[in-house]
Parts: sequence; structure tokens; C-alpha cells
Amino acid sequence: MAEGARTGQVRVPAPQGLILDPVLVAQALVSGLLFGGVYSLMAIGLTLIFGVMRVVNFAHGDLMVWAMYLAWLGATRFGVDPYAGFVIAAALLFVAGFVIQRQLVDRIVDAPHEMQILLMLGIALVLENGALVAFGPEPQRVRTPLTQAAVWLGPVFIDVGRLVTFVVAVALTLALSLFLYRSDAGRQMRAVADNGYGARVIGADVRRISALAFAVGAACVGAAGALVAPLLPFQPSTGLQLSVTSFNIVIIGGMGSLLGAFVGGLLVSVAESLGAVFLNPSMKELVSFSLLVVILLVRPAGLFGGRTV
Amino acid sequence: MQRRTFLKSTVAGAAVAGFPLPLRAQPKTIKIAAIHCATGPLAEPGQACRLAAQIAADHVNAAGGIKSMGGAKLDLLIGDTQTKADVARAEAERLINAGAQMLMGTFNSGDTAAIVPVAQQRRVPFLVDISAADPITANVARAVKEGQQKVQYVYRNFPTGTLFGQRAVQYFTEIFKEAGVSPKRVVLMHCNDLFGTNQSKGFQAAHKAANPSWEIVEVIPWPEPPSDLSTEVSRAKAAKPDIIAPITRPASALLLLPELRKQRVESMGIVGPGSPGLYEAGQLTVLKDDLEHVMTSIPWPNFKHPRAQKLAEEYLRRSGGKMLDTNSGYSYDGIHVIADVLERAKSTEPDALVDALKKTSYKDTLMVSSGPVMFNEIGDNPNASPAMVQILKQKPVAVWPKEHALAKFVFPRPKA
Repeated sequence: MAEGARTGQVRVPAPQGLILDPVLVAQALVSGLLFGGVYSLMAIGLTLIFGVMRVVNFAHGDLMVWAMYLAWLGATRFGVDPYAGFVIAAALLFVAGFVIQRQLVDRIVDAPHEMQILLMLGIALVLENGALVAFGPEPQRVRTPLTQAAVWLGPVFIDVGRLVTFVVAVALTLALSLFLYRSDAGRQMRAVADNGYGARVIGADVRRISALAFAVGAACVGAAGALVAPLLPFQPSTGLQLSVTSFNIVIIGGMGSLLGAFVGGLLVSVAESLGAVFLNPSMKELVSFSLLVVILLVRPAGLFGGRTV
Repeated sequence: MQRRTFLKSTVAGAAVAGFPLPLRAQPKTIKIAAIHCATGPLAEPGQACRLAAQIAADHVNAAGGIKSMGGAKLDLLIGDTQTKADVARAEAERLINAGAQMLMGTFNSGDTAAIVPVAQQRRVPFLVDISAADPITANVARAVKEGQQKVQYVYRNFPTGTLFGQRAVQYFTEIFKEAGVSPKRVVLMHCNDLFGTNQSKGFQAAHKAANPSWEIVEVIPWPEPPSDLSTEVSRAKAAKPDIIAPITRPASALLLLPELRKQRVESMGIVGPGSPGLYEAGQLTVLKDDLEHVMTSIPWPNFKHPRAQKLAEEYLRRSGGKMLDTNSGYSYDGIHVIADVLERAKSTEPDALVDALKKTSYKDTLMVSSGPVMFNEIGDNPNASPAMVQILKQKPVAVWPKEHALAKFVFPRPKA
């Protein structure tokens, strides 16, 4: 597709007057902010796993695609609305995450980074092609009454599906924070994240804690996937795009920071949304990735870097 | 029978039976690489192309193979681009190394463009069954014309983006006139990959040349595949469109059409200048009413051709319930064009194949067209032509031009 960039002289649209349309700008802000909830949900699981184990989960997007398919199966075969069924997807992904960590990731936690990358990419490939065999190549989208619902505030509309996703993203971030700061298991996770060797010395079961962290991270991905399934079309190959977007958000927010993932999601989404108003919409991803470059130059650890889980 | 005669004939018979290869002419096989995007974002249409190519090869072989070459059978070597240009190139190399004597593919313009240099370098004729981007053939034709390359090995049996644009502008204007309405403001929304950008340019250029009574008031591209199109749709709405003209891919159509409904974008209709995403079985299953009365100008099987009906039934059976459409139809025709070329070339020598390709006049095409399959000086088939297809009662039906229409179009789109 690179040829498109070379051959395509797309006429930059935006006739005079349109770019200053206040309704359009307000709409872009609202849509961007609410869609930011979707992005935040996507990134939270990734940041949690990295924060505790220092493993970059390249299979993140593909796990999410499986969660989307679970939501789709639930909705089409069993009539379960994904806004209720996300708990089931989270539970199933929790188990899957636990098994993946214990059987595979645990073997390479202390191995060089390239070994970790190879394993996680391998898992991603298996998940992607498994989905292709299981569900076929057609793009899917879960349709629920909520996905078509909108509330109009004068000329600006609020997408109810996105609003629900946004609220769940806030709730999930708060719940995870409470878990990490108020529960024993959470404190142990933070201890492992802070200093694995030290945690082992004071008696923490690092293997169990790591598996739990991976499982909780995967459960977040499960919840995110099920909640995003009505908003985003998906097919087996969607995983890579989801992974790249999540990495962008997590790096902007600060690798390993929950708050960073949440704020990063909102920032990236609003930036893209406004980019689509003020620039050629083709270039909206340029805005979010430019944000990444600026953050890396100005604050290499990310906005909330250092405040890991 | 004398004892000596009996012995002679028995020995001779036994020799023939025992050593059949040197004495009996065995039909050869001719290896054809069918490379499509069978996985990745465009897997659905890619798999449709692959299956149709296989059905076509089965039909050619069942009818006696390539008769001028002793009944040689077509042996399809299957390649998968994964919808990635670098993989497409590697697959072409791999299959040529495995003995492919002709290439066919790929559906995705970006992948097809990546195979072109391989075909030229390795001197293996490449019939593009589906891919609309103009530069695929035009760049090679120019290189040959300017003497940088000696022979053109790349030919295309599919409308180019330019031709898509011309037909779309023509059909838009004719349909508006026939319906007795005069929409003024058309908003063009398109994916920004090689295909989408090329289609958009073709449509705009044709509009400029034809200067019809309607205007393209806004052009809104998006990165493909998009994660969100709400702001793009808000922008389209702000342009007060009479017509939304989308150039989509399957995934982006799943986002765009529900968003148009959700944001209550009022228009006379959604009429596409030509793209996937608006007519496939899988899309209809997911989008349902959002696709009803949507029109798009795409290459389409000529269901008035008796063989097209029969093929549609076989395709439905072998695909597990899918409809013969643009993609399966053109890949099916592609293999038949290759068989026709081999029949006339009587050889698999590359330059003999190119000579035969240039002299092609294949009349038995199953697709809507304005004449036989042939290749002009650029290597394109000027007779490949789209038809305006509309979703009526959840089925895609050709509605324009009149000679290929199976139903009367419904326009303007009735309000939901």
C-alpha cells in the first residue's frame, strides 16, 4: 500500500468556512473523548502486563480479537449482549492468560528480549491463524440496540455505545487501582514490579504473582475486546492494528502506568479526532504518532512514566 | 495366427504396457500460479478469487485441457499474499521457482503492483485478474515504450481506476436523469490505500472531464483500515450532501454505513463509484438494512449469460453458500483467458505467450462487458466494464445500464 502514498495526490479537502464550524469541532471533541475510553480500555491490559513482568505482549491485539469473537459468538449464537457478556469474555481470557503465562511466557521471563519478542509474536501468529480457521476471513461487527443509539444535545450527538464503554473504562481503571493498592495480591504484584528479586527474598511467590498479573491483564483485554466489538469491525488480521495503537498509547502514557494508559487513550483519540477536522483525515494517524515522537523527545519515560503499577 | 506372429505381437504389446512413458504421449501439465490475498484484511475476496480460479481450472481440465498442447492439464499453484506487498513479491518468486509458467492475481492493487517487477524480471507472463490501480500496467507500458524494458509481461482483464471513474460519472448522470431528480452536492469518501486513492482520482478526473450538473463538494479520505469514522461522517454531514459516494473496503464499510445512519446524514442516496464492501454476502449479513438500496458501480457477472447462471449454482455449492460476484467472476474468467492464450500460443515459451496475449479476443466472458476480452497498448482490457448494482431486498442486483439490468433501480433511496 506504500505505493498509495507515492502515486496519490489526494486533494486536501476542507473548503473555507468548514474548518471553523464550531459544531463540527465540538462534535469531534465529544466523539474523540468518548472513543478515548475505547483506546484506554485497549491499553490498560498491555500496560499491566509490562508493568509487572517487563514482558512486551505482542499478542495483545490478537488476544483482543479473540475476545471480540467471543462477544460475537455470545451475541449471535446465545443472544448475550456484549455490554453484559464482557464479564464472561474477561473470565475466559483470565483463564487463557493464566495458562499462556504458566505454560509459555514463564519459560522466557528471564531470557533475552529477542526471545520474548519471538515467543509473543509466535503466540500472536497462532492466535491470528486460529481465528481465521475458526471464524473465517469476513470482517464482523456485533450489532446491539445500543450501538445505534444516540442522544442529541442540540446539533451535537453523543454515541450511547461509546458513552457506556467510556464509563466502563473509568470504572475498570479505578477497580484495578483499588486492586493494586488495597488488596494483598495487588501489593504483591507491585512488589514484584518494583523489585522481583526483593519480592522473592521476602517470601512472595513470584511465579504465581506473575501468572496472576498476566491473567488479570488478559482479563482486561477480554473486557475491552467484548466492549469494543460493537464499535469496531474486526477480522482475524485486526490484531496487529490493535497492538500498534495500544503500544502508541502505552508509550505516550508511560510504560507500566495505569493512569498513563487511561490518559494516553484519551489524548490519542482526541488528537486523531481533531486531526480529522483540521487536516486531511488521511493524516489523522500522523497526528497521534507525531504526539508519540514529541513525547519520546520531551519526556522519554512517557507522561506518567516512573509511576508503574 | 502363426506362432512367430503371435510372439511378435505379444512381445510388442507387453513392451507397450510395460514401458508406457516413451511410447505413449502423456498429456503435460502447465503450472499456473494463482496468487491472491487469502489471509489478512482482504481475505474474504481473496479466498473467493482462489476458489473461482480452482473451479475454472477444473472446468478447463474436464473439457480436455489445452488441446493444442496434447490435452495438457492446468495445474494451479496456490499463493497467498497475506494482503502484504512484500509477501506478494516473495510468493511470486517462490511459485516461479516451483515452475509456474504464468501468474494470475491478486485482488489487492498494492500486492499486484509488488508482483509486477518480479514478472518483468523473470519473464513470466502475469495476467491481473483483479486490481484497478492504473499504474500496475501503465508503468510497465511506459518503460517498454521508452526502451527501458523490451517486452511487457503484465496484462490486466479488469477495469482500471480511470475506466471505473468514467463509467461511474456516466451512470450517476444517467440514473439521476432517468429518476427525474437533480442532486447537486456529492460528497466523495474513500479509503486512502493504493486502490482507494486511485479510484478517487479516477472519479474526480472523469467528473472534471464530463462536467455534469452535479458537483463533488467535499473529498474525505480515511486511513485504511480505520478504527473510527465518526469525525469523517460529521464532516460529510456538514457538507450538506445530496449523494454520499463511498469507496470502501469490507472493514471500513462496516464502520461507515452504521455511522451515516447514527448521525442521521440525510441524502438522496448512497451511490459508490466502485469498491468492495457494499455487496458481498458477509457484508450483507452484518450490515442488513444499512445496505438496502445502496448502489455501487462494480464489475458484475452477466447473469443473462446461461453459463453464468450454471456457474453461480456450482459456486454457491462449492463455497458453502456464497454468491458469484465481482471477485469470483473475474478470477474464473481469468483462468479461461489464460487457457485461451495457451491454446493459441501452443507453447509455454514466455514471448510466444505474450504474442498470444496481445492477439487475445476472448468472446465467452461471463462478466458484464462492452466487447470481447482484449488488451490495448497499455495491456488493459478496454472492454472490461462495471455495472451499477443495487442492494434490493438484501440481494445485489444489476440495475444499470439497461441492457444488463435485471431489475429497475430504486432512487432516491426511500426514507427508513
